[in-house]
Amino acid sequence: MTAAQTLPGPFAGLRVLELADEKGQFCGKLLGDLGADVVKIEPPGGERSRQVGPFLDDIPHPERSLSFWYYNTSKRGITLNLETADGRQLFGLLAATADVILETFRPGFLASLGLDYEALREQNSRLIVCSLTPFGQTGPWRDYLSSDLLHMAAGGEMASSGYEEADAPNAPPIAPGGGNAWHMGCHYAAMAIMAALVHRTVSGRGQYIDASIHEACVLTTEAAIANYIYRGEVLRRQTGRHHAAGPTPRTQFRAKDGTYVCALVGGRLNPKFVKELAELLDSYGMAGDLKDPKYQDPAVIAKNTSHIIDDLIANFIASLPAEEVYHAAQERGFTWGAVRAPEALLDDAHLHDRGFWKQVEHKELGRSFVYPGEAAIYNGSPWRISTRAPLIGEHNTDIFCDELGLSRGELSVLAENRVI
Amino acid sequence: MSRSRALENIRVVDFSWVRAGPWATRWLGAFGAEVIKIEWPESERGRLPSTTTPQNVEVNLNTSGNFNDTNANKKSLSLNVRNAKGLEIAKRLIAISDIVIENFSSRVLRNWGLGYEELCKIKPDIVYVSMSGYGHTGRNHHYTTFGPVAQAVSGLTYLSGLPDKPPAGWGWSYMDDTGGMYGAMCALTGLYHRNMTGRGQHIDLSQMVSSVPLNGPALLDFTVNGRGSRRAGFPPGNRAHWPGTPLVNNYRGPTVAPHNAYRTHPGEYNDWCVIVCHSDDEWQRLVQVMGTPSWATTERFATVAGRLRHQEELDEQIEAWSRTLGKYELMECCQAAGVRALPVQSAEDRVEHDPQLHHRQMYLAMEHPALGLHKVQNAPFKLSETPASNHLPAPLIGQHTREIVEGLLGYSHEELRAGFEDGTFWPTRRARFPYMEDMLR
Repeated sequence: MTAAQTLPGPFAGLRVLELADEKGQFCGKLLGDLGADVVKIEPPGGERSRQVGPFLDDIPHPERSLSFWYYNTSKRGITLNLETADGRQLFGLLAATADVILETFRPGFLASLGLDYEALREQNSRLIVCSLTPFGQTGPWRDYLSSDLLHMAAGGEMASSGYEEADAPNAPPIAPGGGNAWHMGCHYAAMAIMAALVHRTVSGRGQYIDASIHEACVLTTEAAIANYIYRGEVLRRQTGRHHAAGPTPRTQFRAKDGTYVCALVGGRLNPKFVKELAELLDSYGMAGDLKDPKYQDPAVIAKNTSHIIDDLIANFIASLPAEEVYHAAQERGFTWGAVRAPEALLDDAHLHDRGFWKQVEHKELGRSFVYPGEAAIYNGSPWRISTRAPLIGEHNTDIFCDELGLSRGELSVLAENRVI
Repeated sequence: MSRSRALENIRVVDFSWVRAGPWATRWLGAFGAEVIKIEWPESERGRLPSTTTPQNVEVNLNTSGNFNDTNANKKSLSLNVRNAKGLEIAKRLIAISDIVIENFSSRVLRNWGLGYEELCKIKPDIVYVSMSGYGHTGRNHHYTTFGPVAQAVSGLTYLSGLPDKPPAGWGWSYMDDTGGMYGAMCALTGLYHRNMTGRGQHIDLSQMVSSVPLNGPALLDFTVNGRGSRRAGFPPGNRAHWPGTPLVNNYRGPTVAPHNAYRTHPGEYNDWCVIVCHSDDEWQRLVQVMGTPSWATTERFATVAGRLRHQEELDEQIEAWSRTLGKYELMECCQAAGVRALPVQSAEDRVEHDPQLHHRQMYLAMEHPALGLHKVQNAPFKLSETPASNHLPAPLIGQHTREIVEGLLGYSHEELRAGFEDGTFWPTRRARFPYMEDMLR
């Protein structure tokens, strides 16, 4: 650990209250890993996102969800039933101490409890409240139900992703996996909260943020919208590569080990590129006729595009493991990569050099596990996981007794009455 | 607009190009920062080649539609930083700025004499965000990325597709969009920290590395349970589980059926609607929406286990019904009954047919000096006190050179003219745009 890594994170000293399910938990993680004191407020018995697998050793249990573990690092956890008068009163006390409240309830729910932004602001004018919901607080779809897959459909991700007919006849558009609709919403919500925090350093005042996951997804398809707005084009799906108005050369090639390589070639085939390509292929004795000087003529290259891509490059990649193609090509300046399964990342030397993988202690299990770390290295205020996800109500005593001054007896009464 | 802005009085020196970096600074601009894009006509690939210039408009440095959307809310200074005079001007600008951001490969700024140590000498509390492909440290720092390569190498591409098929991947540079998000978040956290402590820093963001945490649950399934994603039935397309393969969560959410995209009337390219039932109750509501057909009331579809086991037949039967309805009609019937359904939407659908986006004013038109009036993508959030807004179209290349060089930095008009003659502000042998001639008068 370098000296910088022991410094506090950029959000050290900030208190965030997170009332979030699967839709917003990643946003809370980002703020927590960046140093904020994120207090996750779950309903008694735990948030339903604890019911999502995979589970530790495939034994389903709310304390064993790896999905919950991942998305709730660097948070403390308390339980509180906001639908009780005691719960609302305690929440009010907490809100008075908070810098940020992140909530993903259906629109109008907090207001129905008298806990909307207007009410909370009265006792804390510095408070920033961010509501992150499927469609925002207004509009005809406001109360529609959603899911990750639904958002990828309406957001346009699916219209851009899938297979050409020849590769998978009759296949539907394919939604990329991994829960990325939630990531998209959380990235934008986090950015909005950060902007509000910066503003508060100057103005001293908080504000309300109405963030929409649908809109975040709709914004995340690169040039698809511009293609339509400026040219009226609706793009077509292509296997393993960019959507396009008309067919473009493939970029995904099967390697010797049965995995794939992403080799960006189409649109780049100029004499300089072809010369370097010939050198790369030749270093494995696979250049074929590509060293022929005729390939320094753009017209000859254009006429032989299919030969270069579908014969020479495809055969070259088919002769080697994907990782070898990746590194050999990158060392020669080609922007190519191996299409890896996530587990292959554990063997990536570059990530190890950057100290990317983190040991996270689960002391109740007497074990530590390897977690993926941070997107960026800060040299003055590090981004890093501080702790594993909280157990259900793990910090009830810390928060309710030590901080808010409740007695142990009162805590017991709250538990007996399903307030916590 | 009279409202205050979140980044009022913040100035950003933006060396970024192509997409990921410009997408980051677009948002800093939307929050009210003065973003000064330093660019050079020979090298901004975000401007050329352009595949988004309207059919009736000449393709040139100022007519890419996608560039206009990606670079709203910025000013442009055309400047040759590789010449000593240009570098000096860049340094004078940095000295009065808050943030420097760039997305070159790892050694470019240092080689220009603008590494972090140098930046600190110019502006001690500078927030420097570098957005390179692999980061500034680590053995592969010199490797390069575009979105698709970052997605491939990080495992993201692999998570999309059908079993026993090549990866379907992402149909666009997801990690250019998302890399931009991280660039903006890094800049904002750096700025917050500076405002609180008085100290700047270097934030070393990597596009490839920032993709990896997006595979969190899949990675934990491996590091904790020893189970990799390279396994039978994974990835399961749009389904939560591929029938006939071991029941393992696919990292998208709960394992349920139905969970797929279904063809809708009239069966054109993007006529699909997604339907998902998260519970038996939701399934029973769908059965009612379908008109309670006899197939749907059989025992084998009554439980989630049965629906997962008989998914092929389930999906076939649902699609036989869904083909009779338009995708928006299907969505409305389902949502009115409390069933999760949304249509696959193309870009045209989103811009023209999505009533929610229309209501939320997602696309508002803005005039661009070379492209005319076109819709620009709005922010996906509404801040009550400091709303993000598109207040400037993307700059013409070098459009604000005079304003910045004379107005902000205090150079004389003669010095501006000299700089155009000697290749500091524009390549000497390249034709100038008419607005450049105007600024030299």
